[in-house]
Amino acid sequence: MSDQFKQILSLEQKDGGLKGDLSSTNIADLLQFLSSSSKKGVIKVVRHPDKEQGQVYFDGGELVSATSGKLTGLTGFADLLGWQEGSFRFFPGVDAQNRTVGLSVQHAILEAMVSMDHGAGNVREQTAAVMEERGKDMEQAVRGATEVMNDLLEVPGIDAVVIVGRDGFVIDSTGSSLRVNIDVLGASLAHAVNGIEEMGSELSIDHFQDLFIEYGRSVIMCKPVGDAIAAVVTPDASKLGIIRHKTKKLFLELGQSF
Amino acid sequence: MTVMRDTVVKSLAKVTVQGDENGLIPEYEVLVNLLPVALLNSFAERIMAAAPPERKAEVEAGLVRAAYECGYHTGCGIITSESFNEAVMPMVTEGAKDILRGAYAAFTAWGWAKAGIVQLKEGERMVIRAFDYYEADSGGEGLRAYMFRGLSQAFFDLAYADPYPDGMDTYVCQQTKGLEVGDPYGEFIVTKK
Repeated sequence: MSDQFKQILSLEQKDGGLKGDLSSTNIADLLQFLSSSSKKGVIKVVRHPDKEQGQVYFDGGELVSATSGKLTGLTGFADLLGWQEGSFRFFPGVDAQNRTVGLSVQHAILEAMVSMDHGAGNVREQTAAVMEERGKDMEQAVRGATEVMNDLLEVPGIDAVVIVGRDGFVIDSTGSSLRVNIDVLGASLAHAVNGIEEMGSELSIDHFQDLFIEYGRSVIMCKPVGDAIAAVVTPDASKLGIIRHKTKKLFLELGQSF
Repeated sequence: MTVMRDTVVKSLAKVTVQGDENGLIPEYEVLVNLLPVALLNSFAERIMAAAPPERKAEVEAGLVRAAYECGYHTGCGIITSESFNEAVMPMVTEGAKDILRGAYAAFTAWGWAKAGIVQLKEGERMVIRAFDYYEADSGGEGLRAYMFRGLSQAFFDLAYADPYPDGMDTYVCQQTKGLEVGDPYGEFIVTKK
């Protein structure tokens, strides 16, 4: 990622500032890169074609404030993450005038993703709608699971993808997971998720939506996909925010196959 | 909680599948023949090769039917057995769906096929994926997992159709992918006949 950004940004620096286009990157990637290489500053974004404006202030790895049009704080930041077309410009050394977020960049991206999920009408409802559609004609899955899994593996930071049935049957796997005993992994994930679902049920706090298991810098992220469980393995926890951002649609798509 | 495959495999792998003095597996009261898989595969390959083109579909249906009869009665013996009752039933929370999960775990425990459920719409449709089965390395042409097709059809009948004998042949199983033709796994779809 850093090489990509160095290339994008160094080209733009000749023009007197760091600027670029959202077609070549996205705000989450940009923020992670800039916050790791600059002490503080503001990223100003203009969305195309409606010229809506947004800005994100960060300082020392912390996301201080964000606005997107009239939206502020985490809500504004979540909205900004969904912008697909537009231009951005980075101004280093600028202090925020107020504090509307106050989370680490990674944490803010994760929270924004959850907020986006809920804002979009709850992932579970979306999945239910997909399931209902699937029920009408289960054979008309848009793409095969293998194809979607390969797309998941293309997301930077994802090392392996495993699909496990609720009973622990390993339906499919791709990536470096093939090095490990995949059946043991499947059984362990199914046991863990079953335990977690039982806990959620006992506490009457809805169904399980995400599970993150940290092992040092490595993380296993699990999500329900249809009646199965998808697990992605990343050796670099710092990429978790962007992984969540980039995999959201793929997981929903994957849910149609199981 | 749902049926945990590894727990079932560990429990059922302990059950002996050797026949008693009557040739029956005592646990399930079904006849057992300890014959090599190659014998079945060789029989299937030869009978298919010998069939004239216009009768191949009929012969294929006969091979699937034989597996179905075996699967229906053995499956019934399995899911009503004491060992299944002890190993699987305490984990059943989703009714027939969980019983089917347990049945495929039993398949795996005895080395009949390493298979499991991918999709299940209760009483309507089931997709199964298998990474090993009798005909996986058999000779012949085209998709030819007759045994697995018959067994899967039988299991779905046992789970969702009317009781024996009226419920027999309510569903049908088609094979869409096969290890024997170079696919990475076998895929089987059970639907209403």
